[in-house]
Amino acid sequence: METSLAVRVLSGGMNIALVLALAPLCEGILRKVTAKVQSRQGPPVWQPYYDLLKLLGKEDMESGESPAMQRFASWLSLAAILTVAVLVPMGTIPPMSGAADAYLLIYLLTLCGISTMLAGLAAGSTYSLVGMSREMMSLMTLEPLLAVAVIIGVVHVRSLRLEAVLDGSPYAQAGVPLAGILMFGVAILAFQALVGRLPFDIAEAETELMEGSLIEYSGPKLALFKFTQMAKLVVYGALVVSLFFPWGSGLPAPLNLVSLLVKLVLLVLVVTLVAATHARYRIDQAIRYYGGLLGASLVALLLALYGY
Amino acid sequence: MSAHVVLKQITERFTSVIQRTDVPEDGRLFVYVEPQALRELCRYVFRVLDARYVISIGLDDRPISGKFLVAHDFAFDKEHVLCSILSYLSGNPPRVDSISDVVPAANWAEREFRDLVGIEPVGHPYPKRLVLPDGWPDGVHPLRRDYPWDAVPAGYDESRTFDFDDPPEGCVVVPFGPFHPTLDEPAHFRLFVDGETVRGCEYRGFMVHRAIEKLGDSVLTYNEIPMAAERICGICGCVHNVAYAQAVEQAAAVTPPPRARYIRTIMLEIERLHSHLLWVGLGCHILGFDTLFMQCFRIREPIMWIAEKISGNRKTYALCLVGGVRWNITPALRSELMGVLAKLEQEWRPVVDAVAGDRNIQKRTRGVGVADAALVKSAGLIGPVARAAGVDIDARRDHPYAAYGDVEFKVITQEGGDVWSRLLVRALEVFESIRIVRQCLDHLPEGPLQATIQDELPPGRVGLSSVEAPRGESHHFVITGENNRPRRWRVRAPTYQNLQGVPAMIKDQQIADMTISLGSIDPCFSCTDRMEIIDVRSGAHRVYTQSELLQLTRGQTRTP
Repeated sequence: METSLAVRVLSGGMNIALVLALAPLCEGILRKVTAKVQSRQGPPVWQPYYDLLKLLGKEDMESGESPAMQRFASWLSLAAILTVAVLVPMGTIPPMSGAADAYLLIYLLTLCGISTMLAGLAAGSTYSLVGMSREMMSLMTLEPLLAVAVIIGVVHVRSLRLEAVLDGSPYAQAGVPLAGILMFGVAILAFQALVGRLPFDIAEAETELMEGSLIEYSGPKLALFKFTQMAKLVVYGALVVSLFFPWGSGLPAPLNLVSLLVKLVLLVLVVTLVAATHARYRIDQAIRYYGGLLGASLVALLLALYGY
Repeated sequence: MSAHVVLKQITERFTSVIQRTDVPEDGRLFVYVEPQALRELCRYVFRVLDARYVISIGLDDRPISGKFLVAHDFAFDKEHVLCSILSYLSGNPPRVDSISDVVPAANWAEREFRDLVGIEPVGHPYPKRLVLPDGWPDGVHPLRRDYPWDAVPAGYDESRTFDFDDPPEGCVVVPFGPFHPTLDEPAHFRLFVDGETVRGCEYRGFMVHRAIEKLGDSVLTYNEIPMAAERICGICGCVHNVAYAQAVEQAAAVTPPPRARYIRTIMLEIERLHSHLLWVGLGCHILGFDTLFMQCFRIREPIMWIAEKISGNRKTYALCLVGGVRWNITPALRSELMGVLAKLEQEWRPVVDAVAGDRNIQKRTRGVGVADAALVKSAGLIGPVARAAGVDIDARRDHPYAAYGDVEFKVITQEGGDVWSRLLVRALEVFESIRIVRQCLDHLPEGPLQATIQDELPPGRVGLSSVEAPRGESHHFVITGENNRPRRWRVRAPTYQNLQGVPAMIKDQQIADMTISLGSIDPCFSCTDRMEIIDVRSGAHRVYTQSELLQLTRGQTRTP
């Protein structure tokens, strides 16, 4: 079924609006639940919205080596994650995925990480450079995981078209989808790291690097990075949902959105609980962990190639 | 008896150079020696008799004897003796052989008396400025008697910067501090980093030196000093308060009544409880484990409340005067405190079990920041850092004071010497503290809180006092003096020694382990600097220069 261009643009716009509106709420839920786990009252669920508004309203200070590049990096980070949002199904209408293929999706995901690296590099202070180098090390071991997940889908459905891939494709195999199940496990274990939360918030590590790459950022630029972090949780969540738990996406109009939201909130709760019960890993420990996951994902890829 | 045994061992070899010895009580020994023999005697005491180095003190004694005085304090922990080796120096500037090459732990203390009193440690391996600020002119020594307590030296040069060491080849400098979210107090480590690995570091601290010792021998009186002493530290203030009072009492042979000794013990242990709970929380926070951090603080809160009920303050109990205490523990407070302890014990057990079984925390702390027994000996490390390395020392047992001689408790030790072992030592000491407080409450003697002191305290007597602070032994050295105030009062907070072990602890470690390694000594920079931070609220859109800030702080007569 071909969808008209107008509908596609509309749906893309809706996805962006959904992410922008939903991301601070997810963050708010995360903070509130964390507070409850820690016997605290916690901030109101709406607090992240206020935080972002406050930061956006502040003076745009320029501190760091190359201000133009820093401004670009802050916009790039949010733009990259929102572009991914346009391509990932989020309830209601099919997204703009017809306009792109799986490769573009993989590139865009990498671009999100690269924008954070760029932020650290452009700021040029010692701590931001250490944060950047850590971000780079994680990027090199983490991003292939998502790529492999998408490629397994591509192999199974024998198509690069995103509508086909982002619909439970890793399981789209006759018999028991071994590759899909293995990759599902890997994705769940890596999710915490993909969204950059404790125990894997190593590149920011407040108590060690004082926010690492973001140390020189304040006001509106910081708001954009913060927004990106919050959006990451939603967009990566939606991506994992559409790859591995697509059930319910075929339901009639409001119900499919509800099912997505329920699944997202569940994911956020898992992320919250893991973050609240773990101490931060050191970069070498984390890289070893990612390395293990990468090995497992390559096994999954091999299985997929041989038709399992 | 023990002090006489130690004295005999020393006199056997050094009869010819010893001028005078004094054993005022069982656990104290004072040896006055010829300055040229000082280094050899210290080497003998430290290396052969295996004493623990405590601190060195410099004193301008010219108004009395026309000379300068230098003292090196050692502790014989197994023999239960605190010993001070003193030497009068003539000449100006006075010179004394440095002992830092044979007693590495004396490095800072010798640099400190070089800065403040102007006694030159000859042959010091690293004679760099330690305490005085960057712009302070050379040759001006604020702790000399002829230097007024409120003087700003002529020729103070604000543009002068500190001459830092060059990093080793292939290393970049990562500045850690002066302000860092995990430090909470100003201190500056210049880390020499190769990739993610720390190859070495240089420390520059004492940024907010408040000159409390100068006030102690020029402005305050005997019974005003406890108030200032308590403000040395925001966490273990009571320790300094008690240690000072005890040092004066020992020097002047004043005996506080039994009830006062018990109440001192109770308050010191309450302080240890809240401090250890705070540290376990902060340690977890440094590792990013905020849930346990929050739970520790929740469990700790009732301790703060009961302290407030007893003393009127959550912290800064203002407990001691020379010869007694100011607060009583009434029967009502006693039963409430019992209740708080019971609840604490019940809530702390699951936390310790959770920590001990957590592989995630062990991953970040085992084998990290290792200080082995050899480093403990050479750098003079103390407290949980020493006990975590299997060095069984605890001033409460080794040099009993207050009521510690009357109560039973275990000294917790571990073998690893790493952050994990220190975490366990602190977590388990909480139970011992609860035991001590319970025993004190059960056997709290009746009677007065304060000894009556009829006469003026005799001048020229030396007093030593060691109190086991939560972070390790806190040592006070007092020489009594005229005008109702001491001639010299020297404070050695535990962090002063433990910080000197940090460069060795973080060498060849990951940069990520720096914060927890430093955090694991439970550093207290205010103790080391002997200062307090005054918070200055700045106006909108206004940038203050350093001198304007100084003007502001000097105009500030009370904390906002």
